[in-house]
Amino acid sequence: MTGAIARSREPATLLLPTTVVGSYSVPEWLERLKTDFYLHRISPAHLDEIHDVAIKAAIKDQEQAGIDVVSDGELRRDNDIDYLLARIPGVSITEATKSYYYDYFEAEVREPLSTGETSALGLVKDFLFTHGQTDSPIKFSFTGPFSLSRRIHNSAYDDRADLIRSLAHALNAEARELVAAGATRLQIDEPFLAGYPGEVGLAIEAINIVTKDVRADWALHVCYGNRYARPSWEGHYDFLFPAVLDADVGTLVLEFARKGYGDLSLFKRYPWDRRLGLGVIDVKSEEVETADLVASRIRKALDVLSPDQLVVNPDCGLRHLPAYVARAKLKAMVAGAAAVREELSSS
Amino acid sequence: MFVEVRPTKKLRGAKALNLTACLSPILDALTEDSLDLSRLRLVCDWVQYKNNFRDVVDVRPILSPPPRNGQPVEPVEDKLEIAIDLRRCADADLADVVRDLLARRVEPNGLERVYLENWTKATTSRIWDFNSLYWRYLGVWEKATGRLYEQALPGGESDARNIAGVHELINEMLTVWDDLAARNALPDQLYVIELGVGNGNQAKTWLDEFVKLDAEHGTEYYRRLHYMMCDYSEHVLALARENVADHAAHVSSFALDATTPMTALGFLRYKVFLVYISNVYDNLPTEDVAQINGHTYRAEIRAYLPKAEAVRIAAEFGIESPQLVGAIDKLLSLGPELLVDALSAYFPDAARAAAFWMATWDALKLEERYVPMTGLDLYEIAPGVNGEMLRPLLERHGDVRMQVSNGAIASFVDTLPLLHPYGRLQCHDIFVTDPHQYRTGFLGPGKYDGSIVNWVNGPLLQHIGRRKGFDVSFAPFAHRTGTNIVTLTAQVRD
Repeated sequence: MTGAIARSREPATLLLPTTVVGSYSVPEWLERLKTDFYLHRISPAHLDEIHDVAIKAAIKDQEQAGIDVVSDGELRRDNDIDYLLARIPGVSITEATKSYYYDYFEAEVREPLSTGETSALGLVKDFLFTHGQTDSPIKFSFTGPFSLSRRIHNSAYDDRADLIRSLAHALNAEARELVAAGATRLQIDEPFLAGYPGEVGLAIEAINIVTKDVRADWALHVCYGNRYARPSWEGHYDFLFPAVLDADVGTLVLEFARKGYGDLSLFKRYPWDRRLGLGVIDVKSEEVETADLVASRIRKALDVLSPDQLVVNPDCGLRHLPAYVARAKLKAMVAGAAAVREELSSS
Repeated sequence: MFVEVRPTKKLRGAKALNLTACLSPILDALTEDSLDLSRLRLVCDWVQYKNNFRDVVDVRPILSPPPRNGQPVEPVEDKLEIAIDLRRCADADLADVVRDLLARRVEPNGLERVYLENWTKATTSRIWDFNSLYWRYLGVWEKATGRLYEQALPGGESDARNIAGVHELINEMLTVWDDLAARNALPDQLYVIELGVGNGNQAKTWLDEFVKLDAEHGTEYYRRLHYMMCDYSEHVLALARENVADHAAHVSSFALDATTPMTALGFLRYKVFLVYISNVYDNLPTEDVAQINGHTYRAEIRAYLPKAEAVRIAAEFGIESPQLVGAIDKLLSLGPELLVDALSAYFPDAARAAAFWMATWDALKLEERYVPMTGLDLYEIAPGVNGEMLRPLLERHGDVRMQVSNGAIASFVDTLPLLHPYGRLQCHDIFVTDPHQYRTGFLGPGKYDGSIVNWVNGPLLQHIGRRKGFDVSFAPFAHRTGTNIVTLTAQVRD
């Protein structure tokens, strides 16, 4: 039953819906203010207000670009790891100050984590804020247990797999609260997985713990890293298969625009009957794609998947792109998707 | 009135500088003048370069910012800085020099200088045309001086040829490659880039040693190796190609500007395992910024020849004085060889043209003024890098003047994208590694043979590298003692 819920294709009724992966352009002034917070130059209250304003602007940008499913831009989060790790009970942050906000904390687990049923990460508040700002469907994303574990010094578990499973239980409790609060589209990001291809089976097992009994439209995002706008690893997505076929997710969100579309052949080789979040925007380049280029990339995917299996999105988060570039790229993406949608409806 | 004495180490010891003897006549001269002393800064350096761009006393206007909402107006002088070179203070009657300067500076043409340009950003000054000329016509310069450029380096050789350093670097790289190969993640082609290849001695040493170590290692990585030699100077690049002829199948060469490596090497994005740079950054265009009373200024400059020197040079080469600047312009745009064709009446042969070049270079000085910045974010350090990167350095270290090392930053940030996730940039150069050095030392510019030398702003490079996801570390050059050379290493963090 769990799998059936998680793999539901509802409510994606629009053909070739457009969305973002999660993060949105972080303005330089916001980076400075976030860093100022760690230098004790501004208060947590002021930083919260600044984040609220920035998120409203990010949502507005996405709506004006014509994005169908928007996000909060993850603008409250310093990076893909810290916001979550610092809130998980039992994870110690050894030094809670930073000289630059984007740096990772050093995190440690000294005792096994309690895997209770209650959520502790406070993501519901973030979701409700976003929900209050837009009538558009919202995708809410968080980093998955495998990637979170890679930034933890573990002295509590003899088997690192148990740490990953414990983190997955904590995220599962959070996901249930999010759905109870009205979230319908949840995404797990695993930006570290491509660096440890041999551990994909364990990562998928943990993902299924996160999604267990959570009635949401789940997505799983796996990329080659976007830390400081650079890839952390190189390789091919063949490592994901066939293990990912067992993931209880409805959409697999992958990076293609930067790497090329050769890995689409994996969807011919393996029986993937769910959706693919097709990366059509290179988030590591400030060169803005044309709508025609986006359309051609979508058509490549249509050679191997049916139109109702495709979701159109950038390769990864837009956080490292200047806002004007991010806006232009999203507009090109929306226009490219619309052009192909038009072709499909008239054929 | 503010007085800053930077070379504090010179004030103690057996050969201690008599600061009172230096400053006393200057202070006497200043009190005689009607200058508003509350708006005066007196800064003292020890300019260690025998050939440099400064006089024993320089006067630098500090300009006030233009009004925020008015029409653009010419900024006006708000304060004044008087800069003293303590190394030369015993050679001059400083009271007279200061009196004379203060009196003349308010008179039209009172300073008796022949200017080669209007006020400009230091990075676009004509002095960099001289620097560029040196590298483009290095052969002409070497012939004129009778000395190869490597002999002009401290110790008479480049640090790049040190075998122990080369072995260490290669062995570390072989370990990384083995690790990637074990994970089936080692690319087919293994790229190494050297920026500023010079005459190729380093490249030859590196490749020869690589062949030996690879053979011992037994992995045959040499078959997959591509060594890309890059230099601004075609002259030295040609020498370098000859030098590495034994490795020709594994070597490519590119004439490129070190500040924009991606223009020629963009196809190697994320593919390069080692970028090696030696004694390049200190020779790239830079300008200074200064924090004065909590405000940030850029030091603009104006290149000039002292009138007496200009008259002497013109007479020596039979040039009418009004034609001198035009002749220098032609030298900088055409080079010494074509100058013979363009102005044969003055320069019958290349040797004579080279002599003119050297005489002009030797006499060249810089005037400075401080121009207020209107916002760090509006200041471009290098393409894609704005002045906000300076903020931590400026905020943390109070009133300080420092080189921005614009060219080095441009080169650095345009090189980082080349690096493979397991790649490394290694650079030997003269780096400032602690901002406190800006308070205690003179760090350029100096004249080094026919080129310009500035110490490189290491803390700024480190900060920018970090913001781009790289750990940047400094260590004293490990394989030769008694050198100022520092090794910078940049590697992907996290």
